[in-house]
Amino acid sequence: MAETLASSEVGLSRRWPGRRPSLRLTLLRQRAGAWLFLLPALVFFIGYQIYPIIRVIWISFTDYQFLSTKPAHWIWFANYAEALRDPLMWESLWRAALFTIMFLPGAIALPLLLAVLVDRVTNAHLATLYRLVLLIPAAIPSTLVFVLWKWMYNFQTGPINHLLVSTLGVFTFRDAPQWLGGTPLTLPSIAIMEVWWGLGYHTIFFLAGLAAIPKDLPEAARIDGANEWQVFWHIIRPRLAPIMMILVVLRFGTAMAVIDEYLIFGGFNRQSPTYTWTMFMYDEAFREGLWRQGFAAAIGMIGAIAMMIVMLMLLRIFRPRD
Amino acid sequence: MSTALEAVPYDTTLARLRRRPPSRNRGAIVRHAVIILFMAIILLPLAWVLIMSVKSLPDAMTGAFWPTQFDFTHYGYVLHNIATLPINLFNSIYVTTSTVIITSICAVLAGYALVHLRPRGGGVLVAILLMSLYFPVRVVSLIAVYQIQNFLGLINSTSGLILPYVTLNLAISVLIMRSMFQLVPRELIEAATIDGAGPWRTLWMVGLPMVRNGLVVIFIVNFVTAWGEYLLCMTLTNDQVRRTMPVVLASVEGGLGEWSWPNLAAVYVIVVAPAVIAFCFAQKLFFKGLNEGALKG
Repeated sequence: MAETLASSEVGLSRRWPGRRPSLRLTLLRQRAGAWLFLLPALVFFIGYQIYPIIRVIWISFTDYQFLSTKPAHWIWFANYAEALRDPLMWESLWRAALFTIMFLPGAIALPLLLAVLVDRVTNAHLATLYRLVLLIPAAIPSTLVFVLWKWMYNFQTGPINHLLVSTLGVFTFRDAPQWLGGTPLTLPSIAIMEVWWGLGYHTIFFLAGLAAIPKDLPEAARIDGANEWQVFWHIIRPRLAPIMMILVVLRFGTAMAVIDEYLIFGGFNRQSPTYTWTMFMYDEAFREGLWRQGFAAAIGMIGAIAMMIVMLMLLRIFRPRD
Repeated sequence: MSTALEAVPYDTTLARLRRRPPSRNRGAIVRHAVIILFMAIILLPLAWVLIMSVKSLPDAMTGAFWPTQFDFTHYGYVLHNIATLPINLFNSIYVTTSTVIITSICAVLAGYALVHLRPRGGGVLVAILLMSLYFPVRVVSLIAVYQIQNFLGLINSTSGLILPYVTLNLAISVLIMRSMFQLVPRELIEAATIDGAGPWRTLWMVGLPMVRNGLVVIFIVNFVTAWGEYLLCMTLTNDQVRRTMPVVLASVEGGLGEWSWPNLAAVYVIVVAPAVIAFCFAQKLFFKGLNEGALKG
């Protein structure tokens, strides 16, 4: 082995005198060794993302039931046909879409407004302080955000109802709003929580985009007599479009596939507005009957495909035109 | 008054040039008022919990924001008297630390390899990683992940959670590290190679010190995700003693006794404080990392 290596190096050095051959050889060796560096990431990525997706696609074509001892059969599109015939499938997709419609505008517009305002703060200390506060919600882990807002929305002791009933007197304890638990208010309540959670992070996102706009552009427009709205619409908005596209598409994806919030705030009542396709899938896969995971996989795939179609449409709408 | 308003654009320009806050500008006052309103909206819920954790029990029942009497004993009480609490806290620390370490190692190695070792098929891998960010993998793969854990005998195992947790942010972590390593000049890596350093030594001595800020971003992103993960923990474990602290906190209802509101709030502060404090300390590095290209990933 050592001999062949040595001889090949001699052969190389005859063609490229000096140091270069050994460098070239090392680079070649590195290229082969690169997959060794990629191995740990690949093991996890393939084991817990690629394979599970393939497995879910596969069992969605079978009548696999987790708690059943009988072997599963290949049943082609029977699960998909059954799911698509079920009005609950459509209802649950619509509910997810409804939540997304409630959540997305606020999650984009408010951070955009806040970013434009914070970007114009000239005091360096204040600017740093604002940015620090903005990112605090992003440092709070998801479940703890949900727990916090579960308490905020609490019917009896929550501060929101306390404010409405005892301080402002808009409601009494008899007709105070029931924010969570599968009531009609549950989806907007969760949407408000999600906007709060993403407010700072999205603002930071936009601030990064604003920092890339040369400061003299809006200044020049202002001197030429443009008002703030015109400056925003004609100068800032087009330059933020790429960042906005990433945010809209990514947040559309997370909003359509929300599940943790519904598990915590909604429960498994099939009439609840929080019973979306993700809950339908979870219910069928881990709770109902013999855990019809084949059928549940089909529900999940239908939901995911529906999402991907809309996301591709969004990408087309927002694609850069110039 | 009207002349003052007309002069505003020039005034702000001059003020900006002199790096002086335009304090007499009415627009600036409105601007700061709106910003402070938003800051209050962000901070109020957190302030509510913090104050709740030091309220006396009668004050906690009235719902008033500011208590008449403070009571700082709740923290000691929850740590000593709620039997499963230290176990759940330990589970959280154990699972999160392991996840952060494993994901960071995977991401650094993969990011370095993708940029500086230029493997065949690296482009395809990056495309797949990017695509996985747009697909609801976490939800759709849940059924199969359950089956895998069941096959490996890891249902209801706290350690078993680490495996799927590592994958939650793996794609974005690798992409962040990749964009960080793209900022490391190729000549620098090649120079180290010429000097006879192997890829491991080059990564450790030359690459790693240059991607410190990106590493901080990855630490924080993975810490926050693993610390607050709900869906997998809820689905893959059954017993309360196996679960992480936030998941237990999400399942208890506030009331009286050991889960009284101030006690709950105290547990909450204990669980959320490490993340927020660590973040405040690391925020300078975090912003640097974001600006250096993590956002582009």
